[in-house]
Order: sequence, then C-alpha cells, then structure tokens
Amino acid sequence: MVEQFNRALGLANTRIVEAVGNFLPGVLVFLVVLAVTLAVALVLRSTVRRGLNSLDFDRRAELLGMSLASWTPSHSASTLIASIVYWTILTLGLLLGLTALDAALPSQFAVSVLEYVPHLLAALAIGVGGGIVARYLARAILIGAVNMGMQSARLISLTVKWLVLIVAAAMALDHIGIGRTVLLLAFGILFGGVVLACAIAVGLGAREAVSRALDRQLREASRDDTVNHV
Amino acid sequence: MADAARAKNALLVGLISFQDGETIGPVVAAARAALTGHFGDLAGRIVLADCGSTDGTVARAREAVGSGDLLELSPPRSTSDLLEQPYHGVPGKARALRAILATARDLESRACVIVDGKVRTVTPQWFDWLCRPVVDHDFDYVLPYYHRHPYAGALTRGLVYPLVRALYGVRLRQPAAAEFACSGRLVEHFLDEDFWDREASQVGIDLWLATSVAAADFRLGEAAVGIHTHHARSEAALDLGTTIAQVVGSLFADLERRAARWQRTRGSVPVQQFGTPVAEPPPASSPDVERLFESFRLASRELRDIWTWVLPPRTIVDLRKLADGPVAQFRLDDEMWARIVYDFALGYRLRVLPRDHLLRSLVPLYSGWWASFILQVRALDAAAADQRVEDLAMAFEAQKPYLISRWRWPERLRSG
Repeated sequence: MVEQFNRALGLANTRIVEAVGNFLPGVLVFLVVLAVTLAVALVLRSTVRRGLNSLDFDRRAELLGMSLASWTPSHSASTLIASIVYWTILTLGLLLGLTALDAALPSQFAVSVLEYVPHLLAALAIGVGGGIVARYLARAILIGAVNMGMQSARLISLTVKWLVLIVAAAMALDHIGIGRTVLLLAFGILFGGVVLACAIAVGLGAREAVSRALDRQLREASRDDTVNHV
Repeated sequence: MADAARAKNALLVGLISFQDGETIGPVVAAARAALTGHFGDLAGRIVLADCGSTDGTVARAREAVGSGDLLELSPPRSTSDLLEQPYHGVPGKARALRAILATARDLESRACVIVDGKVRTVTPQWFDWLCRPVVDHDFDYVLPYYHRHPYAGALTRGLVYPLVRALYGVRLRQPAAAEFACSGRLVEHFLDEDFWDREASQVGIDLWLATSVAAADFRLGEAAVGIHTHHARSEAALDLGTTIAQVVGSLFADLERRAARWQRTRGSVPVQQFGTPVAEPPPASSPDVERLFESFRLASRELRDIWTWVLPPRTIVDLRKLADGPVAQFRLDDEMWARIVYDFALGYRLRVLPRDHLLRSLVPLYSGWWASFILQVRALDAAAADQRVEDLAMAFEAQKPYLISRWRWPERLRSG
C-alpha cells in the first residue's frame, strides 16, 4: 500500500518536473522576447521622438490640425506618436512572447489580435486623415465666409468641421467593426435629423431672412463688379 | 537686302485677345493708323495672338486690318486654362506673350509693343507714346501710366507698386499693366527667363515681366497714356479674394525667386516720364467705407487665430484696437500696413499656412487699408492723393530692413 502510494507520488513528481521542464524554456523565451522587445521599443521611441523633433513635426502637425495643446498641454504630437510606437512594439512583443509559451488560449488570443492590427491601423489612418481634412475645410470656410461678410462664419466653419469629424469617426469605427448596426442607425438618424431640422428652420422661420441675405448678396456682388482693384 | 528685311519688321505690334469681338476692331485700326501715321519710316507688322475666342474676334481683326498684313498666331492651349479664371481675363496669356516675343525675335524687330485687345480707349497716339522712347531714345521697357481715379486700382496703389518699388528700387507705378513696349534686347532677355513654364505663369506673367526688368540693368520709362477703360471679358466678375490670391501670390512667388537680388537694393529711383498727363481723372464709383471697415472688424474677431500664424502678437493687438474704434477715426498706419504685407510675404515663403488660405486671409486687411485710404484721400484732389500713395511707398522702403531681417532669421516670425 505504502509502496503503491510512493510509486504514485513519484510518478506525479516526475510528471510535474517534466511539465515544469517543458514549460521553463517557453518562459525563458517569453522573458527574452519581452526584454528584447522592451529594448527595441525604448530605442525606437527615442529615435522617433528625435526624428520628429528634427523635422519640426509639432509645428507642422499643429498646422494640419493635429494640435494636442487643448487636450493635454504637457504633451506634443511627437511625444504622442513616440508613445504609440513604444506601446505598439511592447504589445506586439508580449503577444509574440505568449505564443512562445505554447499555451492554447494565449496563442489564439495573440493570433486574433495580430489579425486585427491592420484594421486598427486603417481606422487610425482614417481618423488622422479625417482630422486633417476637417481642419483644412473649416479654415477655408471660415476665411471664405468672413470675406463674404457673414457674421456666423465661425458657426458654419465649426459645423463643417464637426460633420467631417463625425463622418471620419463613423468610418473608422465601422472599419474596426465596433457597433456597426448601431452606428449606422445613429448616424442616419443624426444626419437626417440635422438636415430636416435645417430645412424646417429655413422654410418656416428664416425664409425672409434668407431671401434678404440672398438679395443683399446679389446686389453687393453687382456693386463690386464696377471696382477694378488691379 | 538684309537691312531692307530688318527695316520692314522694325516695329512689331502684338495684340493679345480673348473674346474681344467688341473691341478688337478699333484696337487693330488704331495700331494700323499708328504704324502708318506715326512710324511710317519704320513700317512694322501687326501680330494677333488669340487665346481661343469663340465670338468672332479673329474675323473682326481681319476685317479691321483690311488690305494690311495681319500675322495670326495660335498659342498652344492647355486644359488647365479651363480650371481657373485669371484676373486679367486671358487664359494662357503667358503662352500668347511668349509666341509674340518669339516672333519679334525671329523677325529681328527693333521694338515690340504689346496691347491687350479688350481696351476701349486705345488710340494711335498710345502706340507713339509707348514706342517712341524705345525707337528714338534707346529705352528698353516702357510701361503705360493710366490716369485713374484715386479709388481705382487700389491693390496696385496700396500693395503692388509700393512693394515692387521697395524691393527692386524702381518707381514703376503700374507694374501689372497689360500693355508695354520693349526693345529687341529686352525681347531676348524675356525669352531667356525661366518663368514661362512655371506654375501660375499664365496668371502672373504681366507682373513677372515687370519685375524681371526691374531686377536687371535696363532703361525704364513710363508713358502717361490717359484713361484706360475696357470691356468685361466675363459676365461673372472675379471675387476680390481670388484677385488678391492671384496678384499678390504672383508677386510673393517672384519675391521668393529673386531674394538675393532685392536684399541688395536700397532706396529707389524714379523712371523717366513720357506722354501727356490728363488733367482730370475719370469718375469712379465710391466704395462703401462702412462695409469695408465692417469686413475688417469681423475678420479681426474671427480670423485672429489664423493671423497669429503670420503676424507678430504686437500687430494682432494693434489691429484689434483699431477694429474696436469708430470708423470715422479709423487709420491704418502706413508702416503697419507695410509690415503686414512683409509678414505675409514671409509667411508665404515659409508656408506657415496653405498658401491659398494665407493669401485669402489678407483680404480683410486689404479692405481695412482701403477703407483707411479712402477716408484719408476723399477730401483731396488727384495730385494730393497720388502724393499719399508716394508717402505709403516711402513707408514700404523704410520698413524694408524689417523684411530683410525676418527673411534671414525667420524664427523671429512669431515674436515681437
């Protein structure tokens, strides 16, 4: 009985030792991958930050509408991009390390996350592109409206800016598959509602004001025609 | 034999037209009368470069020339001509001018005079005033000086003339004029220039020719040709923003190219005057000062964030103070206006904003300057108003070191 118990215990010990023996190289590889990734991430963060600073990226980013000053005054666009690069590399390293452990669940998770990365990058590109277009259009409309003497120039410019931003955000979220149906419905309702509200407001409340504004616009244009500036 | 051929084409009259059926006949007739009446001993040639008119302009020119010889050129056309309406109204104008100048060179012309086909007031005497200094006095370049109401040509008076004068040191009062006369030597110089195929050359060619001459060593003159009126080529007039973007953009682009030249120039010299000045300028519609000032006031509130990219903080504060004051006492200081123009030139060079945005954001500042100018000259006669423009040009010259220092050390753009 005792002998049988000792044999079973020995067998269990052997299995545990074997399992630990099989698992330890994976852990070692995981730790090595993590350490290398950390080193690469640190070097890349520093390189990206220096490279962007030398390109005067913060000023150019502000020009393109990617200013962070209003949200996080202590951070600049170059710091943000360097941080994104750092955390992306670190996350990828972590996922790569998890596959080295040869555990089924973390490996599947790592693969599915890696498959998701291109969608995330595309969504990020859509978001950044939308931000740049929104800022450009808002500025062009503000200048044009002020030159036309419209008192509500800033309101029009802001409206266009937020419309473009909302469209870009909806496209980005749709691309990464978050709340696709809800988003589509919400977007349709929002846009439809805004257009309907504007139509009703102009049709019922501001018909005469619009007519007067158009009339004034036409008359002022014809008066300007007679002036030769050059 | 060779001398006879040269004498035959000693004077070339180049006409540029686009949808000028209404005016081209009298212009060709005036050119023909000038060639026979004023330059009979030289006998020249009339060259018409039409930029794709569809209203019978070329046929009317043929009718007007009668038995005379009309050389017709068809400058190459580009699809880009359809995209933008130039302020002078001739799509592909640089190509037309280049074709005429190349013809003048091929014919070994002693002098070449260019006239726009849209002018209503052109007379045979115009050709004499423009060409005589070139033919008889060895001048290289003669620009017309149109007699205008003080309110007309405000962009030229308030920005183009003072800037060209301060930069290149010559007092050409209407450097953007479409008409000019030039010598055979200058024709060669023009054709050797590298700006013909540059972006915006079709729009800015008139100004670029003038600055090309001003920046080189040529004899310049100015001919008072009287009143200049013309027909409208397009039913829809170009808006002020586009006009400013085209004219000022052309000037700033040229300024960028000739930086080494204008930084060495100090002061300015007058150019010799020809022609007969007209006593009274034509009447002009009176601009609405209140509306101009209101445009300036609105922009000083709404465009401040954009101007911050171009103008130093002190100027922004000063503009705000001016906008808050009453319109009757509104005066935009000459030195301040000169510095604003210089700051925009530097902003254009550094691309602190998309260039179109930058140039269009200058429009309300120009409106403000114009309102201030009208308030200052409305009680003055034409001579006193001209003197006011001369004072402004002096301010541009006085502030030129400001431009030079910022051009050399652009990091100071947003300081001070």
